[in-house]
Amino acid sequence: MIDRVEKIYVTIGKNSTPKFTCFKVNYENGLIKIVPNNIENTDYQAIQEWAKIEGNNIIDPGA
Amino acid sequence: MAITRIGDPAIADVRGVNFRNIIINGNMSIAQRATSTSSANTQAYHCTDRWFNVGMSIGTWTISQSTEVPTGQGFAKSLKYDCTTAEASPSAGDQLHLSQRIEGQNLQYLLKGTSSAKSLTLSFWVKTNKTGTYQVNLRDKDNTRIIGKTYAVSSADTWEKKILTFDGDTTGTFDNDAANSLECEWFLGAGSTYTSGAVPTSWEAESSGDRAAGLTVNLGDSTSNEWYITGVQLEAGSQASDFEFLPHDVNLQRCYRYCYRINGNTTDEQQIGGYGFCTSSTNVNVSYTFHPPLRSVPSVSESNCKETFQGVNVSQYAIFDNDQPNLCNTLGLSFQPDSGSPFTSSDIAAIRLHNSASAFIMFDAEL
Repeated sequence: MIDRVEKIYVTIGKNSTPKFTCFKVNYENGLIKIVPNNIENTDYQAIQEWAKIEGNNIIDPGA
Repeated sequence: MAITRIGDPAIADVRGVNFRNIIINGNMSIAQRATSTSSANTQAYHCTDRWFNVGMSIGTWTISQSTEVPTGQGFAKSLKYDCTTAEASPSAGDQLHLSQRIEGQNLQYLLKGTSSAKSLTLSFWVKTNKTGTYQVNLRDKDNTRIIGKTYAVSSADTWEKKILTFDGDTTGTFDNDAANSLECEWFLGAGSTYTSGAVPTSWEAESSGDRAAGLTVNLGDSTSNEWYITGVQLEAGSQASDFEFLPHDVNLQRCYRYCYRINGNTTDEQQIGGYGFCTSSTNVNVSYTFHPPLRSVPSVSESNCKETFQGVNVSQYAIFDNDQPNLCNTLGLSFQPDSGSPFTSSDIAAIRLHNSASAFIMFDAEL
């Protein structure tokens, strides 16, 4: 079960602007997964379902 | 001009490898994630590759790759469910089943949704102490349709081969993509949400109450219960052919499309999980190239492998994709130090797995 989801921003090249690329997902059993911002990924789909539940929010720290 | 076959007809009739089995890892020989997972009570890919342990809300289980196999059939491994905490009375929404999900682009030749739709035959070996009637379904995930069959386990603790043929479906085509189009599921336990209907013996719009309507057992009702399965084959047509044994490397390659895992070990301190370079004093990028291409951009998880950049502790890492959708050949991982600016730009860096059997880095693109 997902416990916490946070957006992660990455600077890919030199001098480039940090870009939102993935989520850091903490699960209740202690597992941590880095999940791509990609609709075809099954964990991404699970995050979207999780976020629909009232009280669940994706943390966005910004770039 | 007529073509005449020459040579020994007996040899010509031997079935070779032609990838007729739609199921991947049907002989349960590949288990990258774990050969045994105890205390399993949440749905996940716990053990053998491609086999999704779904529901898991009835009881607690040890799910393992077992050497218990039917004699003389050529199998070396099976998948075993062993109940370790029983739940005799499932709640309405509880479920326990095993499934495999299949990409739509691998199913186009079945001509589903046309007047020429092909029937499918499922064969598998099963053994359990829990006799009774079980249900298997094929679920069309693109059109929310279902067909099901029941099978009886009549002899306790005895391997039995089951063969079930499902009609072709003239309604609803499978999407030609890398998403989940067909799910083959074996129900082992269910609450009333899944048992209140009728077995869908013909293709129909899916109703939850039909999915386990023919199930007369609850495998989770006793810690004495075990269930084994191997030799799973799903093929076009109305006849079951002999199981299609693939060479181990071919089977492994097929599994790599959905999961690629590098494991550490207790003796090798220099097990490398990937190479890259420092893009700045605070960032390291490591790239991976996957053969075969992963099904989709993967999720990444690891244990005991990320804090070894030049002795720097790293806890923040991220992922970025270098490819177009459906062509995930390469992937980048970006790592940042816990504090300071310890890296030297353009230096080579590596992910090193600790000398621990529990160390791993895993790329998961499962359905």
